[in-house]
Amino acid sequence: MDKFKIFLLPVVGLVFGIIILMLIVFSLNSIPIFQREGIAIYTTNIWKAGEVPEEEFYGILAAIYGTLYTSTIAILISLPISVGLAVFISDLLPKKLREFFIIPTDIMAGLPTILYGIWGIFVLAPSLSGMMKFLYDNFSFIPFFSYYNPTGFSYLSAGILLAIMVTPFATSLIREAYMAIPSIYREAVYSLGLTRYEATKVLLSYIKPAILAGTLLAFGRAVGETVAVSLVIGNAFNIHSSLFAPGYTISSLIANQFGNAFIYEFMPSALFSAGLALFLIGLVVNVSGLLVLKRWGYA
Amino acid sequence: MLRELKNKVFILYLIISAFLVLFPLLHILFSVFANGIPVLLKFGMEFLTETLPAPNKPGGGIFPAIYGTFVMVFLASLIGIPLAVLAGIFVAEYPNNALSKATRSLLLIMMEFPTILVGLFVMAIIVLPLGSFSALAGAIALSIVMLPYVATYTEQAMRSVPQQYKEGAYALGLRKVRVVFSITLKIAKKGVVTGLLIGMAKVSGETAPLIFTAGNAWRSTGGALEPAGAVPLWIYYLVQQPYANYHELAWGAAFVLMVFFLAIFLPIRLSMVRS
Repeated sequence: MDKFKIFLLPVVGLVFGIIILMLIVFSLNSIPIFQREGIAIYTTNIWKAGEVPEEEFYGILAAIYGTLYTSTIAILISLPISVGLAVFISDLLPKKLREFFIIPTDIMAGLPTILYGIWGIFVLAPSLSGMMKFLYDNFSFIPFFSYYNPTGFSYLSAGILLAIMVTPFATSLIREAYMAIPSIYREAVYSLGLTRYEATKVLLSYIKPAILAGTLLAFGRAVGETVAVSLVIGNAFNIHSSLFAPGYTISSLIANQFGNAFIYEFMPSALFSAGLALFLIGLVVNVSGLLVLKRWGYA
Repeated sequence: MLRELKNKVFILYLIISAFLVLFPLLHILFSVFANGIPVLLKFGMEFLTETLPAPNKPGGGIFPAIYGTFVMVFLASLIGIPLAVLAGIFVAEYPNNALSKATRSLLLIMMEFPTILVGLFVMAIIVLPLGSFSALAGAIALSIVMLPYVATYTEQAMRSVPQQYKEGAYALGLRKVRVVFSITLKIAKKGVVTGLLIGMAKVSGETAPLIFTAGNAWRSTGGALEPAGAVPLWIYYLVQQPYANYHELAWGAAFVLMVFFLAIFLPIRLSMVRS
């Protein structure tokens, strides 16, 4: 082994060390709440902070539910338009115009998330509340619309905001895979006399793995997003089927509650265990996304 | 007939998708401009030099936030960039090594990692032992967020350097260290600098890693071991206040943040188009 490599090894070790230490810190700090409540921290929806430690009890099921609910809404909105934009840019636009559509999506992907947050709280949520009231007044028999007196701060607002935030990322991944389809295949498909719709359907089936990976990685981003979501989700311990109900996500729970957590005996540990859950969900989703990319040779 | 109709509907769907993606962006940019510019005009230069006013009192500005952002991004760069560049060099120079492959995957995972967890982690290992929020803790959190971006850009830039230059350098009898730092890194300079700027632009807009590390400062501008404000952090807290003048300050701050981001990001992105 050359000297230069030996000189660099500690740096690489440190990078791995940070992640491993992170996992250790979250695990160790979760121990008190696991010892006290066991798995109930993840399976109950109770948030009782008390002056006396005996009265405290924490269960973050509502936050886990909210995280999965909002991220699912985000993906359901984002996926069809991500694919649509990817095909639009590579098939409908002449080469010279492509950058006019790609650069804005790149800006969106990098834009500070707090800008989505301020737009969400002052523009998106208020403008959604009117629509929500209408749907509640007329269609409240449908469970999705059944929350009484919606304010605009809800799972739906968070889901829409997340969809806007993850779409640029998903669409660029899908677009790159779509554009990389060998031209032989394109020519073959069109030589059969297929319409654009039929041809695209065949071509898209060729990049299914990239679409799956894009979905997983976008889901992973949605799960971890914090500030923008915490400003529009309403921050309430709630497990409700309605899109219009306020709720919590794991990350917004942490952002919202940690400020005063240290007054209580067990709350910090409860929030670290919430962080541990987020850590593991994020890790599983992102690693599977990256594995899909690797397996089919996209990364 | 039916085939053609399906095709038309499909093309309409593509156009609507493009609209649905671009409309929110334009609306966000427009909202920040439309709400931010009047605030800056109303407050004047004071907006950049004054501290937080009392609720519903005129005047004031966001200086402590700008100061904190600069201090923390500077410190984060000081800590993060050397680490990131060296890690990038390792991955680029020993590409087939098992550790390099693992590092490359790790960097990709770190990029997708929820940044609030980085903040919580740094709180546990820095803030709690030191007993206080500090600019230093915020900077350490930002340096962890920055690391994978800078490392990945460095790696790609280093790998794009043609093999002949390196071979030429080795043929002259230079040692590996010299080849890497005097030849490869010099040729890859543009790509590496792009990575640094992208990393710095990225962390200057981060909020979540700072909430539990930097604390916040509304009226003071202190040293590295004192709590510090940051522009995104201020916006996050100001929009949650019930006061109209705080909302104005938040829009103004959002405008400043957006201009700062676009000023770094757009030239880099446009130069990619040209090359």
